[in-house]
Amino acid sequence: MSNKPIYDREHHVKKATGIGDPQCFAGEASPARFNVGDRVRVRDLPDLFYTRTQTYLRGTECTVSAVVYESPAAEDEAWDNTDQVEWFYSLVFRQSDLWPDYPQAFGGDTLETELPERWLESA
Amino acid sequence: MALINPEKIALDEEMRARNLENSPIGLLEEIRREGSCWEDLASKWKVDNPDPPWKIWLDATCEVLADKNCALPALERRWEEDDLSEELYQDVPFPERQLLALAHSMIRRGLIDEKELAARKKAVEKRLNMVDQKDGELDSVASCT
Amino acid sequence: MSDDHKHAPMVDEVSEFEILEIAVRELAIEKGLFTQEDHNTWTEYMHTLGPLPAARLVAKAWLDPEFKKLAVEDGVKASLEVGIDWVRTMPTRFGTPSDYCSFRVMEDTPTLKHVVVCTLCSCYPRPILGQSPEWYRTPNYRRRLVRWPRQVLSEFGLQLSEEVEVRVVDSNQKSRFVVLPVRPEGTEGWTEDQLTEIITRDCLIGVAVPKPGKTANDPRPVRKALKPYSH
Repeated sequence: MSNKPIYDREHHVKKATGIGDPQCFAGEASPARFNVGDRVRVRDLPDLFYTRTQTYLRGTECTVSAVVYESPAAEDEAWDNTDQVEWFYSLVFRQSDLWPDYPQAFGGDTLETELPERWLESA
Repeated sequence: MALINPEKIALDEEMRARNLENSPIGLLEEIRREGSCWEDLASKWKVDNPDPPWKIWLDATCEVLADKNCALPALERRWEEDDLSEELYQDVPFPERQLLALAHSMIRRGLIDEKELAARKKAVEKRLNMVDQKDGELDSVASCT
Repeated sequence: MSDDHKHAPMVDEVSEFEILEIAVRELAIEKGLFTQEDHNTWTEYMHTLGPLPAARLVAKAWLDPEFKKLAVEDGVKASLEVGIDWVRTMPTRFGTPSDYCSFRVMEDTPTLKHVVVCTLCSCYPRPILGQSPEWYRTPNYRRRLVRWPRQVLSEFGLQLSEEVEVRVVDSNQKSRFVVLPVRPEGTEGWTEDQLTEIITRDCLIGVAVPKPGKTANDPRPVRKALKPYSH
């Protein structure tokens, strides 16, 4: 059973005030599946209602640069569902992996962004 | 033969998908045509603040609309502002464009009514342009100069 | 001091836009969409916002390697040193959807240049950097920066050699970012105040680099999108 008060629309305020969001979710996630330096791939999951995982990232391999914080994923939090807290990762992509025609002269260029664990699989 | 701009069609479809009616609104069109933008006012009156004084109240309005009651969520307002800025209000500078887009979103969402806004605008205009009249028709207005 | 007394310049003319702003606000309050009190609270908070605390944070980091380490490891904690409390700050005291309390300072090196964007909307580290500039919010900047970063940077007057890795930071989840640029030559022996002056908002977003003598942002022509953006 979730101990979240069912009809309390202020539960998030009560939980986060004075602590911060995402800080208020610290300690709630299962151990992180990935570590800094791991190669991972962004999964191409369906997103029926809401997502913050950009289409341009999907299916692309990247490297974990930091394990940043614990939080519900946007897909759940948009509906005030905070039951599944998971780790978020900062990820570095090579621009040439994201955009096939990225100029070769600038092959070292990269892009960094964060994603929740559910969107990642080992590469 | 009239040329059809495929990009415009794509944008129209997108806005329809988001239920934002992007047809012009009479009252706002009038303001768009006749209003003086801050750029022009600032150079006319030789002041150098980059933003009009009302910008901070506009920003606060956008924030509180997305706050407690959440009458207009921030993300949706931003999407609509982006669309309207590229479509109806592209020739209006910022932040006047943001204001027109906000009023447009609020009218189309039924948060305020166009006629009601027009009436209120008249009342506000009268109030702001009120001057101290000797014949006593109006009470004296405090002056801060 | 000038001895002939002059009034501060002011605009003695009421514009249609000024009237519209008031009319919209008054109606919204009457209809209960928000209260005058809440509006006042936000307005007061916004008056306190600006890029200065972030500039000072960078200046401190340039001067103190220990502080730089803290800033990169724990931006929220480092912000306290420049008077910004991400957690207990106005207006919600826990972070709103646009002001979450995860704050990351991205350190440039001579061969790595960060530049920040939010492709989904316009997430921005407001508590420490103020309101975002309009160009930052345009679909044009958001769409093109991830795809053609060097082209966009050169429009800001920043051309980087191929030895420099350009790293676009897409601010799409709960972290907010500022860039910690490389301290420029010609600033040896400068005080924290002197350094703070050249760390402009644009340097902190990453579309410019600090230069001695340069204390203001360049004007940015806003480009209209040729292809409408799909959200």
